[in-house]
Amino acid sequence: MVWEIGLPQTFAASVPDQPSEDQLIEDCKRGNIRAYERLYEIHAARMKSIAFHMLGDRSDAEDAVQETFLKVYRSVAGFGGQSSLGTWMYRILLNTCYDQGRKKQRLAEGPVSADIPSRSNVPLKIALDRALSRLNERQRTVFLLFEVEGLKHSEIATILEAPEGTCRSWLFEAKRELKRMLMESRS
Amino acid sequence: MKFECGDLERALAVPELMQEARDHLKNCPACRSELRLWNEISSAAGALHEDWASPELWPRIKSAIAAEPRPRPVWWSDWKVWALAASIIVAAGLLFWLNRAPGTFGPEQAANRDFLTERALQDVEKNEAAYTQAIDRLYQLAQPRLQNARSPLAVNSREKLILLDSAISDVRTNVQQNRFNASLQMELAALYREKERTLQELVTNDRKN
Repeated sequence: MVWEIGLPQTFAASVPDQPSEDQLIEDCKRGNIRAYERLYEIHAARMKSIAFHMLGDRSDAEDAVQETFLKVYRSVAGFGGQSSLGTWMYRILLNTCYDQGRKKQRLAEGPVSADIPSRSNVPLKIALDRALSRLNERQRTVFLLFEVEGLKHSEIATILEAPEGTCRSWLFEAKRELKRMLMESRS
Repeated sequence: MKFECGDLERALAVPELMQEARDHLKNCPACRSELRLWNEISSAAGALHEDWASPELWPRIKSAIAAEPRPRPVWWSDWKVWALAASIIVAAGLLFWLNRAPGTFGPEQAANRDFLTERALQDVEKNEAAYTQAIDRLYQLAQPRLQNARSPLAVNSREKLILLDSAISDVRTNVQQNRFNASLQMELAALYREKERTLQELVTNDRKN
């Protein structure tokens, strides 16, 4: 059986004979380390990327992922299955990143504080990366989850505990702001 | 509506406006560039996914988890399980209490307890009977004065005693229906005391006169 919920299709397709989400949750609640390893195999890459964009540093991102797994381990007994395990973990990850970011005051300044380079001499990816760091926390998070990591609107709404329409609106605002910044850097 | 450059963002948010936007885009290079950039943002965003090898991360997480105290079992945090367990314990206790078979657990203590309760009640009833007889004797002493009651005190006492006898009769009826009700026994005793006090006042006053 394949994990159905909250997973990228590529992961789901490449991991055959996986236990169901319910089974995975039960195994995690029993403290089965193999279940956590499965969670890591499925979610770690995406978690690292999200944390990297939130914190601006690979080492910090790995720390955040580790902290998230520990928090999951400590609190999974109280997980009632209101959302998928994946979206629940991403919510914990984001909160962990916010906490770490506040501690280091990186979120306030943005992971990268450099000016957005002119598009004439840098690829769009770099300009976009720098512009992204200038967005406010909410817009950056929604953009990261949807455009960069490919989560669905419904999953993002669950993670951020906000209505789906509101999340769509935040995403539009984020793109509009990015476009404005990129247009300014171009002119 | 005449579509202008400033309307492009609105059209991006409202798909119904895109047809008008397309007509405008044909003749507006600036808006075409803006739309291209809008679309490029989404296509370039995927490339921002940051991926790197972290061979040490899982072993680190595994060690950290292993160092944690084991999570409480699932049932530990489930209030329904606790409620069920409490119900079972209460039910088992009740069953045990109701079905204590003689000879299995403390039959002598149980019998003694019942005996003591019954004996205590019998003592109360015995004392009450003796007390009632004493009051009756007092009543006989006061009887002549009560029959010839003229003074306000005697008239007042006679009426009070009638009321007390009526109340005693009511309470005694209730006591007979519920012999183990300590509250009723105390109420009855209080009425008897009041009757005794009233009769003593009457007799004492009679002797003085």
